[in-house]
Amino acid sequence: MSEQCKARASTRSAVGAADRWYSCAAPNHGTPPDSHVTDNLIEIEGLRFSRGDRIIFDGLDLVVPRGSITALMGPSGTGKTTLLRIIGGQIRPDSGRVIVDGRDVPSLSRGELFELRKGMGMLFQSSALFTDLSVFENVAFPLRVHTDLPDEMIRDLVLMKLNAVGLRGARDLMPSQLSGGMSRRVALARTIALDPKFIMYDEPFTGQDPIAMGVLVSLIRGLNESLAMTSLVVSHDIHETASIADQLYIISDGRVIGEGSPDVLRDHPSTMVRQFMLGSPDGPVPFHYPADNFLDDVLGDA
Amino acid sequence: MLRYLRLLGQWALDWIAALGRATLVWFWSMAGVPQRDDLKLLVKQIYQIGVLSLIIIILSAFSIGAVLALQGYTQLARVGAEESVGLGVALVLLRELGPVVTGLLFAGRAGSAITAEIGLMKATDQLSSMEMMGVDPLHRIAAPRLWAGMISMPILTVIFNAVAIGGAALVGVDWLGVDQGGFWGGMQDGVEMWDDVGKGMVKAVLFAMVISWIAVFQGYDSTPTAEGISVATTKTVVYSSVAVLAFDFMLTLVMYGEFK
Repeated sequence: MSEQCKARASTRSAVGAADRWYSCAAPNHGTPPDSHVTDNLIEIEGLRFSRGDRIIFDGLDLVVPRGSITALMGPSGTGKTTLLRIIGGQIRPDSGRVIVDGRDVPSLSRGELFELRKGMGMLFQSSALFTDLSVFENVAFPLRVHTDLPDEMIRDLVLMKLNAVGLRGARDLMPSQLSGGMSRRVALARTIALDPKFIMYDEPFTGQDPIAMGVLVSLIRGLNESLAMTSLVVSHDIHETASIADQLYIISDGRVIGEGSPDVLRDHPSTMVRQFMLGSPDGPVPFHYPADNFLDDVLGDA
Repeated sequence: MLRYLRLLGQWALDWIAALGRATLVWFWSMAGVPQRDDLKLLVKQIYQIGVLSLIIIILSAFSIGAVLALQGYTQLARVGAEESVGLGVALVLLRELGPVVTGLLFAGRAGSAITAEIGLMKATDQLSSMEMMGVDPLHRIAAPRLWAGMISMPILTVIFNAVAIGGAALVGVDWLGVDQGGFWGGMQDGVEMWDDVGKGMVKAVLFAMVISWIAVFQGYDSTPTAEGISVATTKTVVYSSVAVLAFDFMLTLVMYGEFK
């Protein structure tokens, strides 16, 4: 620890000291000096990926500016969650560049990938809390694994993170005792435990009641601003997402079919983009799964 | 005919691919420098895998030892050699039944539990979330279970042998009236440290490695659905049991010279 850090750690305020201790002891997620730093945290160019014969991405291009909230939308099955996993290095694309914080993710070694991930977070649709650990221990997990902080300091940090999501009082509960909305908020507290530069949210509003949804919307916006983070949100909830997103991408058939602010997309020339933004049940994305003629099917032999 | 050949080829390719993935799981689990809380994770798994298997091991061992003594006594009494029942039981247990039955019980009790736990962690994205936090699940989840299995099963085999011999002594000496000196003396004279105890433990260690590896891999490679976990758990028990019996035959062939 540097002299400056030691001096800082001697301050009396418990919470303040926790912040300073943490900033001294936490692993360095900084961009390596030789990396290519731009205004965009994520740059994806010509991404191609297929599963078997099915093409998921066919030359997809996308950028996520630093400090922004970018939303990724599109019909079900277009590979939005797959894209998050490609950005996180959990899936390797067939071709194309995936630059995250100046590093080409597909070309990173296993060790480099784990190092890069310490600076990013992901909120899973299922929350993915560790079921054998309490709420407190779930949030403490990344701190215990990645830092050498003393237990008292970890306690302070965990309580701060839980307080930020309004669940400091639920610290002793087990994940099985939480509602869906509470689980999502605990998972969010765990995701921000290491103060990541970048968070990916996979369907954060799915299955939430209006109150929980409102809480999550304000948390995502608030955390993005107060922690100076960059957020990438995958969601089907147009109104909630549009209310916090700086820019939206609509993906379909393996490509970006519309991008821009929510207002721009509502008046987009593409009927498919408009159908999605207005939530029309039928249109270029058909209501029916491809099938034979209905009458022929019904009146035909069993 | 061509269709069957294609299916056979596909099956062979899938099998080779699975073996490759299993090797990677083993390699990445074993690779790397131990971290500070690895010992805590290991102790927890030894409790889950080893200590919680004790009851089934002790009950089975006592029952098998008692039955062996009863059967052995009935046959040996015909030729007036009932005092050899102690030696016979000890050799059968130390060389074969101890490691094999412990292995089968271990696969059913602990192997299935390991697979189901890891499979469920995969299905609920717990492994993915760990990866995204920069924590390697192979190091954090797979490695402690592999090591705990490899440490616990040989110890369970020793306990199995001891309890089974105790059960045999209870039936043979205390119930059927075999001379105590003959029972224990015959065992002391006839049992060789390396040939009987040592080689039996070599089997136990190998079975432990194979069962733990199969259990961890099946969980890690399972399809993340309820059916997928069920299939993976079944595979663990079936593959482990077949592997134990097959390896037992091969090891017996290799280690005991008289079969060469």
